[in-house]
Amino acid sequence: MPGGGGRDLLLEIKGLKTHFFTDEGVVKAVDGADFPIARGKTVCVVGESGCGKSVTARSILQIVDRPGRIVEGRILLHRESEEVVDLAAMAPTGKAIRAIRGKEIAMIFQEPMSSLSPVHTIGNQIVEMIRLHLPMTTEQARDRAAELLERVGIPQAGRRLDSYVFQLSGGMRQRAMIAMALSCRPNLLIADEPTTALDVTTEATILDLIKELQRDLNMTVMFITHDLGVVAEIADDVVVMYLGKVAETAAVDPIFHDPKHPYTRALHQSIPKFGDTQRGALEAIRGMVPHPFARPDGCTFHPRCESFMPGECDRVAPPAVVMESGTTVRCLLYGGSDGSGAVRDDAGGHAGTAGGEAGARAPGKGASGPRAADQGAAG
Amino acid sequence: MAAPAAAVPAAAESSTDTAATVQLASQWRLIWWRFRKHKLALVSGVVVILVYLVAAFAEFLAPFSTDRMISNLAYAPPQRLRLIEQTDTGTRYGLYVYGYTAEVDMLSLQRTFGVDESQRIDLRLLAKSEPYKLWGLIPLQRHLIGPVDQSAPFYPLGADRLGRDLFSRIIYGTRISMTVGLVGVTLSLVLGVLLGGVSGYFGGTVDLLIQRVMEILRSMPTIPLWMGLAAAIPDFWSPVLVYFMITIILSVIGWTWLAQAVRGKFFSLKTEDFVIAAKLDGCSELQVILSHMVPSFMSHIIATLTLAIPQMIIAETALSFLGIGLRPPVVSWGVLLKEAQNVRVLVTSPWLFLPGAAVIVAVLAFNFLGDGIRDAADPYK
Amino acid sequence: MGRYFIRRVLYAIPALLVISFISFLLIQLPPGTFADTVAAEMMESASVNESAIRAIEERYGLNQPIMVQYWKWISGILLRGDFGESFIWNRPVAPLMWERLGLTLVLTASAFIFVCVVSVPIGIFSAVRQYSVGDYIATSLGFLGLAVPSFLFALILMYIGFRYFGTSIGGFFSPDFARAEWSWARVADLLSNLWMPMLAVGLAGTASLIRIVRANLLDELLKPYVAAARAKGLSELSLLLKYPVRLALIPFVATVGWMLPQLVSGATIVSVVMSLPTTGPMLLRSLLGQDMYLAASFIMMLSGLTVIGTLISDVLLALVDPRIRFT
Repeated sequence: MPGGGGRDLLLEIKGLKTHFFTDEGVVKAVDGADFPIARGKTVCVVGESGCGKSVTARSILQIVDRPGRIVEGRILLHRESEEVVDLAAMAPTGKAIRAIRGKEIAMIFQEPMSSLSPVHTIGNQIVEMIRLHLPMTTEQARDRAAELLERVGIPQAGRRLDSYVFQLSGGMRQRAMIAMALSCRPNLLIADEPTTALDVTTEATILDLIKELQRDLNMTVMFITHDLGVVAEIADDVVVMYLGKVAETAAVDPIFHDPKHPYTRALHQSIPKFGDTQRGALEAIRGMVPHPFARPDGCTFHPRCESFMPGECDRVAPPAVVMESGTTVRCLLYGGSDGSGAVRDDAGGHAGTAGGEAGARAPGKGASGPRAADQGAAG
Repeated sequence: MAAPAAAVPAAAESSTDTAATVQLASQWRLIWWRFRKHKLALVSGVVVILVYLVAAFAEFLAPFSTDRMISNLAYAPPQRLRLIEQTDTGTRYGLYVYGYTAEVDMLSLQRTFGVDESQRIDLRLLAKSEPYKLWGLIPLQRHLIGPVDQSAPFYPLGADRLGRDLFSRIIYGTRISMTVGLVGVTLSLVLGVLLGGVSGYFGGTVDLLIQRVMEILRSMPTIPLWMGLAAAIPDFWSPVLVYFMITIILSVIGWTWLAQAVRGKFFSLKTEDFVIAAKLDGCSELQVILSHMVPSFMSHIIATLTLAIPQMIIAETALSFLGIGLRPPVVSWGVLLKEAQNVRVLVTSPWLFLPGAAVIVAVLAFNFLGDGIRDAADPYK
Repeated sequence: MGRYFIRRVLYAIPALLVISFISFLLIQLPPGTFADTVAAEMMESASVNESAIRAIEERYGLNQPIMVQYWKWISGILLRGDFGESFIWNRPVAPLMWERLGLTLVLTASAFIFVCVVSVPIGIFSAVRQYSVGDYIATSLGFLGLAVPSFLFALILMYIGFRYFGTSIGGFFSPDFARAEWSWARVADLLSNLWMPMLAVGLAGTASLIRIVRANLLDELLKPYVAAARAKGLSELSLLLKYPVRLALIPFVATVGWMLPQLVSGATIVSVVMSLPTTGPMLLRSLLGQDMYLAASFIMMLSGLTVIGTLISDVLLALVDPRIRFT
C-alpha cells in the first residue's frame, strides 16, 4: 500500500465481484477488485470505459441496477468509533445501508442533468436529503440548503433553491449536486466522472471546488475518471482498473513517474503532452476492451499488452505483488509467474495483499484476516 | 445501468466473431434475428398468415355458401364431430355427425333441438357440393369438408336465425373483415406518409397547419364521427361501393396516427449525419427522402401498420354491428355479430358469440405481431 | 402558468370551430336537404304544408351557399342556444340533448376515473415487479382488453348477468326509477347500475394505459436520477413514488387526453348495446333516420367534450411538468 502501514483506512474493498446476469450471459463487470481508501485522501480510480470503475463505486453504496448483483467480496467501512461494517453484506434495500447512503457516503454522478429530477426544484431535492438524515425542520433544512449552495459557489443561492435543473447551466448543476452530496457532511464522497459532461473551463473550476472542499471538510474522496490529467490534478492515491480487476495501486507520484503495469504505461502514452501539436499522432492503446462475455484467460490485459509473454500471460492470472515503493501491481513481469495454476496464484494474490497491508490492520480488525484466507482458498 | 451500458458499446465495437457478423448483417436480417426471439410474435405471425389463407380460400374451406339455409333448423346448436361409431356389429371409423331432433313448444313457438342418434350424417373430406369459382376464376365443386349428402344438415358451429351455417359464414366473414383492415391501412399509409412526410420534412407553417388538422381530427371521438359519415352512405349503393366507402371512412382518422409516426421519424432523421452527408453530396430532396430516409424508418412504419390493422378490424366490426357499416348480404364478422345483439337470443344460442372470438383472435395476433416487429425494428439499439 | 393556460384556451377555439364545421358538413352529406326530408315525411301523412316548408328553408338558409347555412346554424347555437329542430321527435334539439349529454358525461367521467384508478397502480406494480406472475397476469389481461371490442365486452357482461344472475341488465335505472324525477334515491340507483357500462367502456382504455404506465415506468426506472435518489438513502417505496412514478405520469397525463375521445366512442357504442339513455342510442337513431340536426348537434357536442378534455389534460400536463410551464 502506498505510504505503507500506519495509515488510517476508511474503506477497504476486498475481492469484490459484481456481475450482471443478462439474458445473453453473465457480464463480470467487477471481478475480484481489491483496494483500500485512506481517510482524508483523494483516491482516483482510472481505466477505460467498461472497466468496472462505476460499478465498483455503485457497489460500495449497493446501488447497482438490475440485473447486477454483488456476488462475492467485502466492502469494509471503518468508522471513527473503530467499528467496522461490511457494506457488501447488507441488504441492498435495507435500513442499515440506507442510513449510510447520503449520510456517511455520498455520491455525485456523471450527468447532473439526468441525475437530478427534472420535475423537482433543486431546493426540494436537497431538503429531502437533509431531512432524511438530520433532525431538522423544513425551514432549517432550507436554510442549510441555501448555505450549501452558497458554499459551492452558486450566486443568489436563496433564489436558486426554487430553480429546476433545466434552468441552470452545466457547471451550476454539478455544483448543486455537490452541494446536495455534502449536505449531511459525509465521510466519503464518491465522484463518478463528475466532470465528463462539462467543458474544460467548467471542469477546472469544479475540480478546484472538489479539491477545496476535500481539504476544508477533511473529507475522503473517491474520484472516478478516465482522464489522467484529472488524476494528476487531484489524486493522492491512484487505482488503475482493467476489466473488473485492479491492475495497479500506487500513490500519485509513482503512477506518473514510475508506472509498473504495462496498462498504466499505455494509458500514460495516450494522454496528450504539452506542446504536442498533432492530435492525431497520439498513441492509442492497442486493440479494444474485449467483449464482456469473452474475457481473456490469464492476465486479462495480455492481448493488448506490449510486454506479452506467450505461455505465461495467457495462462496464469497474475497475483498482486507489492513493490518496495508501496505500489501494488498485478503483472507477471514482477513475479508470480512461477505459480503453477490459478488456484495457487489466486491464493498468492491474497497473501501478497495481506502481507502488504499487514501493518495497516489494527489488531481489532484482524477479524477480516481469516476470511481473506478463506476466500483465497475458495478461489 | 451505467456499467452494462458502457459495456455494450464496447461489445459492439469489439472485433470478436459475433460482433463482426452483427456488423456485416443487413438491417433486415438483424430485424429478423431479433424478431425470431419473440416466440409469441412468431406464433402470432403464423396465425395471421393462416387467417389470411382462410380469407383467400374461403370458398374452398367453407362447406356451404353464405346464403344456404334450412329454415326449420334456425338456431340449431353446433354438432359434435365424431370419428368412432360403436354399433352392434363392432367399431366403425369415419367422419360423421348426428342429426337433430326438434320439438316445438306450442306456447312460445320456440324450437328446442336435441341430438338424433338414429340419424347419422356422413361427412367426407373434399366433399362435392355447390359449385363455385375460386377467386372468380377457377371453377371447382369440392369443399374441404362437407356432408356426403349435399342437403343434409351440417352445422359445426351452429346455425343462425335463418338456419344458415355459422361456420361457413365466419369463414367468408374473414375475407371481408381482414381485407377491410388491409385496404384501410393502405389508404391511411398513403395519406399518412404523404402528409406526415411533408409535415416533418418541410416543417414551419406547413407542419403547423397539418399538425393542427391532425390534432383536431384526433380529438373527435371516432365512433360518432364514423357513424355520421357511414350513415351518409346511400342505401342504394352496391355492397362493393359501401365496402370501399367504409374503408375510406376508417382511414379518415387512421392516417393521423401514421402521419404522426412518420413526422416524428423525419424530424429525428433530418439532423442525422447520414442524411446531412447525402445532402452535401448533392442528392436531390426526393432522392434523400426515398433512398436514405424512407429505408431507415421502413421497419417502424411496418410496425405501426401492423398495429393499425387490428384497430381497423375493430372499427369495421363496430360499425357493422351498429348496422351502419357493411350490410347484408355482405358477410363480415361485424355483420355476423349484429345477430348477437339480443341478450335473450344469446342465452339460448351462445354460439352466436363465435364471430367475436374470431375478431379477438385476429386482433390479438396482429397486436403481438406488431409489438414483436416494433421491438425488433431497432436492431442497433 | 397563466400565460400558458390562456394560450392553450385560445388554441382550443379554432379547434372547436373546425369541429363544428365538420359536424355541420355531416348534415350536408346525405342527399337532399332537411326540407326535403320534412316534405317527404309530410307526404306520407298526405298533407304537404308548403308554407311550413318555406319557413324551414328560410330558417336554415337551405337555398343559400353553404357558408351562409353554417353561419345560420352556428350563430343560432351560439347566440340563442338553438340547435335546430329534430323532425323524428318533432321537438327542438336542445332540450332533447341536454339530459342525454349529461348522462354521457356521467358515464364517460366514471369510466375515466375507473381507468385511472385501476391502470396506474397495476402499471406501477407490473413495472416494478417485471416478469413476475402478477406482471404476466396484468400484461395478458391488458392484451385481452385491447383485443375485445367494447361492444362485445358489453354483450359478454350482459350475457353473464342474464345467464348466471338472471338479471336483465340494460339501462341506467331500475324500473322504479326509470321515469322518476331526479332525487337522491335516483342518483343512488344510477350509481348501482353504472358499474357494468363503466367497466365495458373503460376496459380497452385501462388495458392500453396499463401498457403505457408500465413501459414508461420501466424506462424511468433505469434513468440515472433513480440511482442518484437511491444514493441519497431514500427507501425504495418513497423514492419510487416521488421520482420515477412522477416522471412516468407525464406521458400518462399526455395520453389520458387522447383517451377521452376513445372513452366517448366507447360510451356511444356500449350505450347502444346496453340501451342506456345516453347520446349513443339517440345518435344512432337520428343517423339511421337522417335526423341530421340532432345528429350533428350530438357529434359536435361529443367532440366538444373531448376538446375540453384534452384542454384539461394539457393544463394538468403543465402542472406535473415544469419544463412545459417554463418554456
